[in-house]
Amino acid sequence: MGLEYVKISPGFEKYMPRDYVDLVKFGPFGKTYDVMELGQYKELVEDHPMCAGCYMAYFIRVFYAALPNPEDTIVLGTAGCARLALSQAAVPFVYGNYGDTNAVASGLKRALSIRFPDKHKDVVVVAGDGGLIDIGFGMTMHSWFRKEKFTTIMVDNEVYGNTGGQESGMSPKGVQLKMAPLGKKFDKINAVELAKIAGCVYVAKLAPTNPKRIARTVRRAILAARHFGPTFIHAYTSCNIEYSIPTRDVLADARNREKKDFKFYEWMTDEVKEFLEEVERKEKEVKR
Amino acid sequence: MYFVAEVNEKECSKYNCKQCVLFCPEPNCLNFRASTNSAWVWYDKCKGCEICVYVCSDLLKRHCIEMVMVTPKATAKS
Repeated sequence: MGLEYVKISPGFEKYMPRDYVDLVKFGPFGKTYDVMELGQYKELVEDHPMCAGCYMAYFIRVFYAALPNPEDTIVLGTAGCARLALSQAAVPFVYGNYGDTNAVASGLKRALSIRFPDKHKDVVVVAGDGGLIDIGFGMTMHSWFRKEKFTTIMVDNEVYGNTGGQESGMSPKGVQLKMAPLGKKFDKINAVELAKIAGCVYVAKLAPTNPKRIARTVRRAILAARHFGPTFIHAYTSCNIEYSIPTRDVLADARNREKKDFKFYEWMTDEVKEFLEEVERKEKEVKR
Repeated sequence: MYFVAEVNEKECSKYNCKQCVLFCPEPNCLNFRASTNSAWVWYDKCKGCEICVYVCSDLLKRHCIEMVMVTPKATAKS
């Protein structure tokens, strides 16, 4: 890993696919692009098979634009919609069995810190509500109890979108879905409070309505995970198919939910706060 | 025939905005060209979700993007 793995061996430039050459020439490796410069350079994600207007795909696009060091990052995913886009990006991707992403990430992070003691290798789990809070609940919790130093991002579409619309632990109470015709009888799980109690040092909850804020949150979560312990982001990424949202209104729905139960929320321990303030102050000075 | 977004570049260049580029779910589908100060659509990547139309017309009232039908021949040109 590191910048070497993205370079093309001399003499092979004309045989490489156009996308790859573009990525090396115009990609974000070794440069720092602000998230507001999206659409002006070759992004890390390539064409993916996610549905038209999927805001999980949008969150993943911004997530990749926000990575502090894409060349030193490994992304883990599991069965679910998110892996369709995650696996199409120019960042190493590990596909865990359903539910074991956080266990795999724990081992990977420990191994990387032994193999590369002089560098920060970021491990980021991006999985859905099913993978983290339903089926992978035990392993998610235990990785937090053990204070493993990696970031967990839950892309919460409030349904099992890939398998026909079964209710998940994160579906809101009373919601009627194709495979839950009587309506869900239990409340939505409060994942953010669980993460706080389980020992995460940085916890955030957001709806994807502001790219700058998503990028800042992802960046903070990854930087905090390098030094202090587990971090968690709960992102609302609607499923426009199972919830029958017309694609044109997907952003309107996200804005609407932000006003109700997905208001931006950020919590961190005092030492993380101090560290992040210091990092962000230094970045501002460099920009000047 | 594909249903894709098309930017009226003349109209778009009047504003200093890029908001549609920032809210498109597809990577490198809506791009920004600094030389003409306008957004442009890579037709091959557009899935026709109209989120950019919502941003441009409903939120910002600028009406620079409309949905059009294009034939594969037209997409090959872009």
